[in-house]
Amino acid sequence: MGDEQMKGYRQQPGKLPFKKPGSGGGKPFSELRDLDFIPESLDGRLAQPHGENRHDYLLTGSSIGRRTPMIDDRWKVTGQAKYGDDIRLSGELIGRILRSPHHYAKIRAIDTSVAEALPGVEYVLCGQGHKTLFGVLPVTKDEHALAVEKVRHVGDLVAAVAAVDEATALEALRLIKVDYEVLEPVHDMRKAIDDSEHPIHDRGKYHIGESNVQKRVFQEFGNISAMKDSLATSAAKWKFAGVNHGFTEPHAVVAHWDPSGRLTLYTPQQVPHYLHRALADVLDVPMHQINVYRTFVGGGFGGKSDPFPHEMCAAIMARETGKPVRITFDREEVFWTNRGRHPSLLEMVLHADQQGRISGIETDALIDGGAFASFGHVTTYYNGVLHTAPYEIGAFHYTGARVWTNKPASGAMRGHGAVNSRCAVESGIDDLCDRLQVDPITFRLANLLPPHSTTITGFRVTSIGMRECLERVRDASGWVEKFRKMPLGRGIGIGCGFFISGSGLPIHWDPNKFPHATVHLKVDMDGGVVVHTGAAEIGQGSDTVVAQSVAEVLGLPIEMIRIKSRETDTSPVDLGSYSSRVTFMNANAAISAAMVIRADLLAAAAEITAADEKMLVIGDRRIYVKRDPAVGVSYLEALHKALEDRGALVSSGSYRTPPMGKSHKGAAAGLAPAYSFSAYVAEVEVDMETGQSKVIEVWAAHDCGRALNPLAVEGQIIGSCHMGLGQVLSEEMVYGRTGHLRNANLLEYKIPTVHEMPKVTPIIVESNDPEGPFGAKEAGEGPLLPILPAVVNAIYDASGIRVNELPVTPDRLFRSIEKKIKAEEVDNALQLPNPNLQYSDLQNVVEARALDHGKRDDERQLDVEREPYHNGALFGLDPAIAPEEQTTDWVISLTPDEDYLADPRLAGSAWKHTERRHMGGEN
Amino acid sequence: MRTPPFNLHLPTTVSEAVQISAELRAEGRETDWIAGGTDLLPNYKWHLNTKSDVISLARIEGITSVSMTEIGAMARLSEIADGGEAHPLIAAAARKVASSLIRNSATLGGNICLDTRCFWFNQGEDWRSSIDWCLKCDCGTGADCRVIVNQNELCVATYQADLAPNLMVLGAAIHLAGPEGERSLPICEFFKLDGMTRNVLREGEMVVKVTLPDEVGQWQGEYQKLRLRESWDFPEAGVAAAWRLGGDGTLAELKVATTALESIPRLHDQEVAPIIAAGWSGEESITALAKAIQQTVKPVNNTAFPPNYRKKMTRVMCERALAQLSIN
Repeated sequence: MGDEQMKGYRQQPGKLPFKKPGSGGGKPFSELRDLDFIPESLDGRLAQPHGENRHDYLLTGSSIGRRTPMIDDRWKVTGQAKYGDDIRLSGELIGRILRSPHHYAKIRAIDTSVAEALPGVEYVLCGQGHKTLFGVLPVTKDEHALAVEKVRHVGDLVAAVAAVDEATALEALRLIKVDYEVLEPVHDMRKAIDDSEHPIHDRGKYHIGESNVQKRVFQEFGNISAMKDSLATSAAKWKFAGVNHGFTEPHAVVAHWDPSGRLTLYTPQQVPHYLHRALADVLDVPMHQINVYRTFVGGGFGGKSDPFPHEMCAAIMARETGKPVRITFDREEVFWTNRGRHPSLLEMVLHADQQGRISGIETDALIDGGAFASFGHVTTYYNGVLHTAPYEIGAFHYTGARVWTNKPASGAMRGHGAVNSRCAVESGIDDLCDRLQVDPITFRLANLLPPHSTTITGFRVTSIGMRECLERVRDASGWVEKFRKMPLGRGIGIGCGFFISGSGLPIHWDPNKFPHATVHLKVDMDGGVVVHTGAAEIGQGSDTVVAQSVAEVLGLPIEMIRIKSRETDTSPVDLGSYSSRVTFMNANAAISAAMVIRADLLAAAAEITAADEKMLVIGDRRIYVKRDPAVGVSYLEALHKALEDRGALVSSGSYRTPPMGKSHKGAAAGLAPAYSFSAYVAEVEVDMETGQSKVIEVWAAHDCGRALNPLAVEGQIIGSCHMGLGQVLSEEMVYGRTGHLRNANLLEYKIPTVHEMPKVTPIIVESNDPEGPFGAKEAGEGPLLPILPAVVNAIYDASGIRVNELPVTPDRLFRSIEKKIKAEEVDNALQLPNPNLQYSDLQNVVEARALDHGKRDDERQLDVEREPYHNGALFGLDPAIAPEEQTTDWVISLTPDEDYLADPRLAGSAWKHTERRHMGGEN
Repeated sequence: MRTPPFNLHLPTTVSEAVQISAELRAEGRETDWIAGGTDLLPNYKWHLNTKSDVISLARIEGITSVSMTEIGAMARLSEIADGGEAHPLIAAAARKVASSLIRNSATLGGNICLDTRCFWFNQGEDWRSSIDWCLKCDCGTGADCRVIVNQNELCVATYQADLAPNLMVLGAAIHLAGPEGERSLPICEFFKLDGMTRNVLREGEMVVKVTLPDEVGQWQGEYQKLRLRESWDFPEAGVAAAWRLGGDGTLAELKVATTALESIPRLHDQEVAPIIAAGWSGEESITALAKAIQQTVKPVNNTAFPPNYRKKMTRVMCERALAQLSIN
């Protein structure tokens, strides 16, 4: 090779003129890469089922799409991960909480003098001095550090003690004398709608009458008058028990005011930033004086996504004593803190018309919020709006109300607000199909919204893999051979799901001003990349997905990425881990940040090699010309070039949602930059003589856009199945006749064991979302939704019993079987008729439409110039124009009229009250 | 949750254990025996009837044997279940107790003497204070029974152990040792219909072993356990049946016992006798017997399943336990 042919700097792999620091020592070679997998930097193309993605050109083959174990797994399995209670600071005090023995009572007086005099007691805290209200949602702050005037449920926090050890603290609690005036409690959520002498909270002028209604929603969309002109109607009244997250690690907190006068609060939290804000409010210090340190989180599932009173107590007592204070809960306290899924009474009415279309969904949801608001404002909306897709519907009528009762507070739990109503709607569709005598999978396939469409409530839906999910579970499960064809006691059922991938609006600020997620990167001479993100790793793998994204863009092995996500001191503000937002938002932000570093590296590599920057690709720790890989430089060489004159490379990337959605009140609830879809088939065995159901096998298809880490997606699917099976078959917070939570322990709160766990076949569907990171959407919550209806529909197929109360414990199912034996006038359960299916004429109609729509959707997915598609087109309207702009039949109504109020449904009757601010003079 | 402090005593012989107990009682201190600890320690953590002194039986030699005709009080359930020495019915029942981890620790004696259970009772201290305590653990308040209110006399906590009914149907005898010496009695006479005193153990008396009749090998049986989950859960109802076939293959003897339906396990000779007397006719006899037994059990509302369901399931479990005799 003559000198004249040399263009710029040429380097043979492995023949570096001198060793660079940190170049790999004895292992300086790059691993062999699959060149086909690595696209060119620009105009790269990858063969994909659903077209290209804007991030395709960033793929380097390093990490995305590979089965990647969690980057913190070894910390956990070797016992070195520090969870909340593992934080030990010298000189710590142990805090314990005195809890209310009454459901509802006024606190007349608290005498702490004897407790304070006990040797070893350093501080006794009561609520009177700390009246600042806090709560996760700014609109519904209703919690105190400790009860101020009233206790609102058994287990509500009354006083706290910090002492030298736990025994002393517990002894001190016994010595605190509280004088209560017991009030009449409300346990029944139906009664909470009525006016009360002592409403559990007082929201001032925004209070709804004198009732315990915390939030009410009325929504009507679509052609309401036409929906009742239906061929078939399915109506059911559901009762859902409250369930708890059942995470492994109980709440624990350590608070420490350091010598510089700053507070560090160690806590397993999903939402460190919201806690940060609440602490500043309650402690009355500026936020910069507080560092929230998120420890390893031993499971969250939504149960650690509120700022909690005990966190306030620890912080206050640590400030007062000048010593670290640690509080760890017993399981009983975890149940009393709760924030689990709302106990709900749901009425679900579905209408289908002559052409097998869903002409209307009417839902009425009364949800029992317990004693505090928590996320309930949002939950009330989610119970309605999150079941308006994936189907195209003619009308949607929703009335929802959340009430306060004297129970531990309900809140956000995996599948937030969508789980119960999804179960009811999917079971309703199964019932409709039974009435219409059509196949429920075909029926669903004939009623799906196409990709890139707008739902009836105005959600902008992008990628949809629903159709593929349905087809794949149908084929994998042997549906056609099994459905309605198995003997009595054995059955198969289908259920679908639809869930937000991040919530469209941040809780605390205007999305047009601040991003949802921000990620900072720093790369210095050693080549490792430090990632600062506030995304809360709660075991779901948020650190891993952010690390993967950065590793992918920079072509580095994941070990070279170090995630710093623990402390609010070093992390950019992040909303936290809820509403399945982390992968979508934080990975997007991480990609943006990594793109800046990538550009620096490419420029440096171009400078060294004199190659055209556009021809360079990034492979494993190398930057080189794709068609001539010998021309290139090592990652470190390029990095060191880039570091010249400026030192460490730093960059910042952020993500915010595009403007979207309609503008009516409540339009933001349920808005998301993308939505996940799923379809599960479950096969069950029902013991007709005992009512015991056993799930044998589950085929679970989930559209997560693109599986950045298939291992994690499968883990989420299987874990969701387990959690959902608990809710559908055994888990229940039982409130006995006296309203006491009867099973606040993990023996009597029946989480399924390994014996109850069926074989789960996860099926990953990749619809390639245009805005998701590398095409990805969520996989953390959506996969939970379909398992419940799949199981209850399978129970129907097996037994002919249409379940409408969860969990379907053996005694409940047995009671239904007994009733059916009477109704059918047979001798015993084994003689009961098996549900059957004789296709009606409608089957051909829906089959033909399903086929048509399949083609429509495929074309639409790939057509970049596609026209808008609004829900309503299936009913003859112009898809390109919003239906309410086309016809006056199509209504949007957000308050009930007098006709409705004359005969309201259960939750709808919450509208009989007038808000206090509207009572004024005219009353 | 904090286990209250207690003094632990570690005798190495039965007589030493009995002596320690007697001495402590003479000093006015209260004692508990601890075998595997899987029942006692969770209860202690909940501060349920805790005692100042706990005498461990773990180091006592010679009470861990497992054979067809004798099982020591300290034999671990895992050994009984999987060791291959115990009667198949006892082994099968042991396999249905709790979980494998618990069975590694739990013992025969502990299982027989399992404290009775009730959802008003098996709760933490804060919880029990919120219901103002209950009769079984009234903490000096004179509290009423929360299951059947206004009776204030009898504790109706449920006996939820699996092995006792199986030992009953095989005609086991239980051997006790105490300050007044050793004694043995049929296991059917061991239990006392009171959720608090539970059995006939006198102060300072302990279970040493259980023996089965020499001809127990001729008996076959079946144990049916009702529970929500196939692990961990205590029985919500349990039916044990054992039978001996005559030389001609017909039913010669039949015993049925139930558990988890009241404060004691119960042998149902009274219900079995008339059915046998009328001549065993297979399926019909099973149906009649199952019905008769269902009518005698009186579960109350203090476990996970409602009592009427447990009662109805008793019949189904009876039928299933006896299914092998249906063609006879």
